Amino acid sequence: MPVHLIISRRCMVQVTGSNNMKLLTKNTIWFLLIMLPLLAAGGIYLYQQFDKELKKEMDEELVNDQIQWLLYFKSIPDDSPVFRITTPEFSIHPAKGPADAQPLLKTIMQYQEVEHKEVPYRQLEQVIRIRENFYTLTIRKSLIEKDDLIRNIALVMTLAFIGLLLFVILVNRLISRSIWRPFYQSLEKMEKLQLEQMPHLTFPDTAVTEFNRLNEVLLNATSRMYHDFVIMKELTEDAAHEMQTPLAIAQNRLELLLQDEALQPTQLKSIAQTHEALQRLSHLNHNMLFMAKIGNKQFMPAGNISIRAVLEKHLRLFEELIRDKDLMVRTDISGDLSLSLHPLLADTLISNLLGNAIKYNYPKGAITIQLNEQLFSICNTSEYPQIPATQLFQRFKKNASVLENSNGLGLAIVKKITDTNNLKIYYIHKEHEHHFIVRPNPHRH
Amino acid sequence: MNILIIEDEQALQESIAQYLGKQGYVCETATNFREGIQKINDAEFECIIADIGLPYGSGLDIVKELKQIRSDAGIIIISAKDSLEDKLNGLGLGADDYLTKPFHLSELSARINALLRRKHFGGNTSIIFQDIQVIPASKSVLVHQKPVELTAKEYQLLVYFIANQNRVITKSALASHLWGDEYDMAGSYDFIYSHIKNLRRKLMDAGAPDYIKTVYGTGYRFE
Repeated sequence: MPVHLIISRRCMVQVTGSNNMKLLTKNTIWFLLIMLPLLAAGGIYLYQQFDKELKKEMDEELVNDQIQWLLYFKSIPDDSPVFRITTPEFSIHPAKGPADAQPLLKTIMQYQEVEHKEVPYRQLEQVIRIRENFYTLTIRKSLIEKDDLIRNIALVMTLAFIGLLLFVILVNRLISRSIWRPFYQSLEKMEKLQLEQMPHLTFPDTAVTEFNRLNEVLLNATSRMYHDFVIMKELTEDAAHEMQTPLAIAQNRLELLLQDEALQPTQLKSIAQTHEALQRLSHLNHNMLFMAKIGNKQFMPAGNISIRAVLEKHLRLFEELIRDKDLMVRTDISGDLSLSLHPLLADTLISNLLGNAIKYNYPKGAITIQLNEQLFSICNTSEYPQIPATQLFQRFKKNASVLENSNGLGLAIVKKITDTNNLKIYYIHKEHEHHFIVRPNPHRH
Repeated sequence: MNILIIEDEQALQESIAQYLGKQGYVCETATNFREGIQKINDAEFECIIADIGLPYGSGLDIVKELKQIRSDAGIIIISAKDSLEDKLNGLGLGADDYLTKPFHLSELSARINALLRRKHFGGNTSIIFQDIQVIPASKSVLVHQKPVELTAKEYQLLVYFIANQNRVITKSALASHLWGDEYDMAGSYDFIYSHIKNLRRKLMDAGAPDYIKTVYGTGYRFE
């Protein structure tokens, strides 16, 4: 047996997209993105400054050492073994003249035993003259602290970065709490705004020009919307008026005509049928307007409605109809479904579904009703075939041609109510049973 | 019983006056607000039927005016607008009943009947039709002084019939009286037939003649 599940086509607009974040977060991220290269540039600059300073100091030390050495060389004889010393830090060996006027200072890489790697050294090299002999004097000092320097600077910069991050978050939070507060207040007001509150909408004055402008724009937009809505509402009601009045005249005229005792039975019957047709027309008009009003959101929920109470009321109301058709009603009420619905819509929803379950049933048929916190479900036996998915809930698509007086709007109204009130309706046809389920839309936050 | 009908649609006004006239009421008519106010001030009426949309004013203002002059006339508002607001407004101002156009003349007659009974006898009177006595206070029915057990719907039917005695009442009028307009009957009036059958049987069992006449293809007449 095919089971058709019709899922309401209504889809919610996704509120949280991927490139959509809180103002606060966005603010922070932008700030950090700007701060990151700034801090990096600062780090590089600091490093260069320190590096320069380090070299300068090192060079002064080297020159100082050289002066000491020169004094010492002058005090020892030419054949002293000192003139043949070669160590990584200090070496002196004979050279050809002439002597350099200035020492040559440069940075070199040299293998260091202790560290087992090439490390940077600052080196002073000069050809010097001690009495008659020339020597090349090389003094080196390890620049191993430079590594430490980089590490220290990186550390300081990281700490500064973390500190700034915390600072920015804190400041942003404080700012959004004070400066942005009117904005968030307006936002919240608009989110919670309901149609009938629109004419009474007010925003407090803020100290920020832009926020005042925003509030003014919001106020103008909502009052225009409300104005349009009122015009629309008046139009639908006027349309009702314009149509119902001639209908009333015609109907009442026919009702009077029926009282004429000179009329033949066949004439009476014709009048009665015309009267009946007019009544259908006015019913149709009434229902169409009702749908338009639902669509215009003229029935806003005032609070939560107990579906259990509504159901029990309508079971009582339809008691005799049920008895007349000798229907077997099974109810499984394990809890109450609380829906945010206008009372009239709640009545219409239950009345139409229960009414259909009675109307499209056969004598001695069954109705099964289930109600709990999650859903309302109603199932009825019927001789009528499955309603094709494409026609279900459509206006004027009658379930069966037999019911010539049905206006086919009952289910369309039910659908309209569920669509505009964040509810979902499902239809299942299985083994000669029509099954309708109403439940709150689960995709709403 | 004097009734004032304030309705700007001539045809509708005439139909109402004609139907109610046949029910034994004396009807006066007004076609606009000013005329309505003038007639209210000129004479006493037991009941006033006022349309909401009138030239030169609203039916609701008629209600206000009536309350101001402390009239104890029953007021029935009729309107083409099936708006809950209007309804609550009208009733809040002191109207006694509200009918949405189009309505059945038999329904209007039944409402006037109930209203006048409520107004003038505080509901403490009984309705007598030949050998049938209906006591609205206890919703009980006596035939030849003996109680007859009726269901709520059968009782409603009987009262409606008596209010519209000697008139042809359509099945659709009975249906909307018993069930309201909300429930679309899908053209099947079988259930009305079974209620009428039961009512007729109970009344006849109690010794009353068969008052309910079937009018071929149309409805019923209580006579």
